[in-house]
Amino acid sequence: MKRETRRLLKKFFSNFSACLGFVLLVFFFIVAVGAPYIAPPKSARDPYMMPIVTWSSNPLPPSPEHPFGVAGKRDIFYGVVWGTRTAFRIGIIVTVVSTLIGLAVGSIAGYFGKLVDEILMRITDIFMAIPFLVAAIVLATILGAGLDKVIIALIVFSWMYSARLVRGNILQVKEEQFVMAARALGVSDFMIILRHVLPNSIFPVLIQASMRMGSLVITAAALSFLGIGAPQGYADWGALLNYARNWMMGSQGEALRYWYMTVFPGVAMVLFVLAWNLVGDALRDVFDPRLRM
Amino acid sequence: MLQKNLLEVRDLRVYFYSDEKRELKAVDGVSFSVGKGETLALVGESGCGKSVTSMAILRLVDSKGKITGGEVIFDGQNLLLLPESRMREIRGKDIAMIFQEPASALNPVYTIGEQILEAIMLHQKLSPSRAKEVALEMLRLVGIPEPEKRLNEYPHELSGGMKQRAMIAMALSCRPQLLIADEPTTSLDVTIQAQILELIRELQKKLGMALILITHDLGIVADMAERVVVMYAGKVVEEGNRFEIFKNPFHPYTVGLLRSIPRLDVERKKLDTIPGVVPEPSSFPVGCRFRGRCNFETGECVQEPPRTSLSNTHAVYCHHWEKVRDSNAEVLKECRAQ
Amino acid sequence: MVFYILRRLLFLPLALFGVSLLVFTMIGFLSPYQRLATFINNPERLKGENVDKLISQYGLDDPIFIQYLRWLKNVFRGNLGWSYVGKGPVFEVILERFPYTLELTIFSVIPIIFLGISLGVISALHHNRVVDHALRIFAVVGWSFPDFVFGLMVLMVFYSALGWFPPGNLSIWAETVVKSPVFRHITGMLTFDALLNGRLDIFWDALRHLLGPIFTLTYVELAFILRITRSSMLEVLQRDYVRTARAKGLSEKVVINKHARRNALIPVATVSGQTVVGLLAGTVIVETIFNRTGLGSFMALAAQQLDYASIMGGTLFFGLILILGNLCVDVSYAFIDPRVRLE
Repeated sequence: MKRETRRLLKKFFSNFSACLGFVLLVFFFIVAVGAPYIAPPKSARDPYMMPIVTWSSNPLPPSPEHPFGVAGKRDIFYGVVWGTRTAFRIGIIVTVVSTLIGLAVGSIAGYFGKLVDEILMRITDIFMAIPFLVAAIVLATILGAGLDKVIIALIVFSWMYSARLVRGNILQVKEEQFVMAARALGVSDFMIILRHVLPNSIFPVLIQASMRMGSLVITAAALSFLGIGAPQGYADWGALLNYARNWMMGSQGEALRYWYMTVFPGVAMVLFVLAWNLVGDALRDVFDPRLRM
Repeated sequence: MLQKNLLEVRDLRVYFYSDEKRELKAVDGVSFSVGKGETLALVGESGCGKSVTSMAILRLVDSKGKITGGEVIFDGQNLLLLPESRMREIRGKDIAMIFQEPASALNPVYTIGEQILEAIMLHQKLSPSRAKEVALEMLRLVGIPEPEKRLNEYPHELSGGMKQRAMIAMALSCRPQLLIADEPTTSLDVTIQAQILELIRELQKKLGMALILITHDLGIVADMAERVVVMYAGKVVEEGNRFEIFKNPFHPYTVGLLRSIPRLDVERKKLDTIPGVVPEPSSFPVGCRFRGRCNFETGECVQEPPRTSLSNTHAVYCHHWEKVRDSNAEVLKECRAQ
Repeated sequence: MVFYILRRLLFLPLALFGVSLLVFTMIGFLSPYQRLATFINNPERLKGENVDKLISQYGLDDPIFIQYLRWLKNVFRGNLGWSYVGKGPVFEVILERFPYTLELTIFSVIPIIFLGISLGVISALHHNRVVDHALRIFAVVGWSFPDFVFGLMVLMVFYSALGWFPPGNLSIWAETVVKSPVFRHITGMLTFDALLNGRLDIFWDALRHLLGPIFTLTYVELAFILRITRSSMLEVLQRDYVRTARAKGLSEKVVINKHARRNALIPVATVSGQTVVGLLAGTVIVETIFNRTGLGSFMALAAQQLDYASIMGGTLFFGLILILGNLCVDVSYAFIDPRVRLE
């Protein structure tokens, strides 16, 4: 087992894009952990609220004092650094909770089969019949402002994918010889699922979860970009980009004057999502070469 | 052997390159020849390089492999030196091939008719209606009932045996001079196997073509082949006509293969098997490659075994072929004594 | 197959019922006051003590279950309610905006699928060589680009700096023509209507306004098709029938374009279908950024303003599209792959 783990690790790190993704993730992790040192909060209140640094609502270009410039009266650098924490928080909480829900629903459907399966899967279909972003917008608006509300809204509409995956795996493994053998020996179905089926589907679920992380972070940022979810002034990449919307046109003769408002938070987001996608991709390559892309 | 050879393979080498750029000698200096209308069997366990040899004749070794040396003389010209466009004219027209798994060798999204017509129109430059007649004729020839209907069916609608018949019809539609059949019956039921072999033999006679039969099944060899080439780990170990190989095998590997067929005429307590498996190309031993699985091994075997010609047709590559001969005689005596 | 389609269609009303129940439950979290606003099309009436009277008049303080039944009864009468955001009956507003979204989808799908497949095939044929690596990086970056980030950059560069792709649906001059009675509205899609009216200038203007969103959607969505095509092509090239085709003497071009690609496109077709369906429901952000009229921007606005008649109507419409769209994808599968039998 240990040798196998080492072999898989070696395979993972021998892949250039996997290494790149991993390095990017480590970088973002350091930024998130070190946020209080990299961009120290100015006052004792909630460090996630970006402090107001000017009184004019005009954006300011990068300067030694504000290395990424100022948008919506707030320091972009501060927002990008603390926004890393927000991105991790949303991504990890939503992924973990929705995966656990999916795991439970999928196992129950696959284990009991028949009517229970039919009902649960139709409910899953119904949740999937509403476009994810529209559903998240509606629920987040109804719940009101706050990061926790965004997280709840995303969880409610993202558990279905792991549920389907787990159910499919259980139905498939149920037909395998070793499960038949265990059943013939009188092992209960519940034990079979626990001992044989779940361990077999855990890797696909993890891979799927890491690949979904990127799109979850994008959706959360899309919500705050639309002005839903995170409260005014909350350190969030989507919210920073929202400030940029009104300054898109630049000024007379200088179209790209406010480039920094889009580029810094935008690049942070792209790299963060890219990191997860690369890692997810590489994990899939390592564990399931059949699905190689 | 006055007849001029149709195909002559001389010292053919096909090397594969692994991801770590290691050289794997999958086919290493193989030579044999096939006369017009003759049947040659290429025999060996899986992994011994038979299929790679056959693909190399058509120059269709996959991208990881490379033909690094030798000659393939077909009808007086060296195929390895031809330009690709000329080679394409030979493939399917002069040399055709049928494969082990008819289910995967036929394209699932085209009808049987489309796939047969494609070959005919490509090589014979016939009008579509005339080509269709030829295709129907071929389907009738291979004994497919209701050929008009089958022409419009997809491969998955046919049974395994029917698929292989369709495959044969496709291969023979341009009347090739040489047919290479790579384990043509391995994936089929036993009763169907016999039918397909019978069909191949019959068509071979009718069309006067030569046949290279690749197989691991010596039963089929005894039934079909005039001459036999035994391959092991990328090299020829023994060659001869059917009689020589079956009555006087002088290579320990050939002997092992023959002893592992169940027989009714000789009483034996236990079936003999060859211990071990064919090594991976990355770990072929130096010298005689059968070393390590051989009962006759001595220190001498680290040297490349010499070729010993025993007759016009029979040759063996072994340091100890005389010992093998003596041991064969003893076994025979024992059997008679029983 | 007819049986299969019928069975799937039987599920449709059930699913729509489920969707409406789900959305209604979510809306039930709102206070009657918040919901009242959406019932009234004249803000003048929302004054002082009128509010409580109106709440009981509309039954907004009744149990949510009763309210749902009431909504359902109206739906069966063909009344989806009044859209506060769209300033008209929900049903009409949706029908009026849908063609805009459909138009954007049609125009975006063409480059997405065409480029996705061709680049995917190129990538597979150059497996592990420079071109392949470059295309994979191109794809994974596009896949990681949030549509609003890319959209903002497109606006910044191609509109404000270069002036090529303006936002909105039409220039002002064109809009006055389109709104005048001489311009006949046939499909509801501006480009097609302009052509049908013989107005090439308006066609070009409408198309120019579409380019930004098309460009954004293409880059962001292309990656998925490229990846599927590439991996599917790589797999198919290993198959025995490709070897058979080569052994027949076919040229490499025919082997790849006829034998390999047709098989490789089977999974791509499904994914393309899903992309089309996803685009129809997924243009929310792009329409918002490029300031376009359409179902997506309408839904974003309705959701932000809690216009719940519009939300209910819109989600039902999206649900209908998703379910019918996925059914079409599954059925088309049977035509592309002769081995598939729908049961």
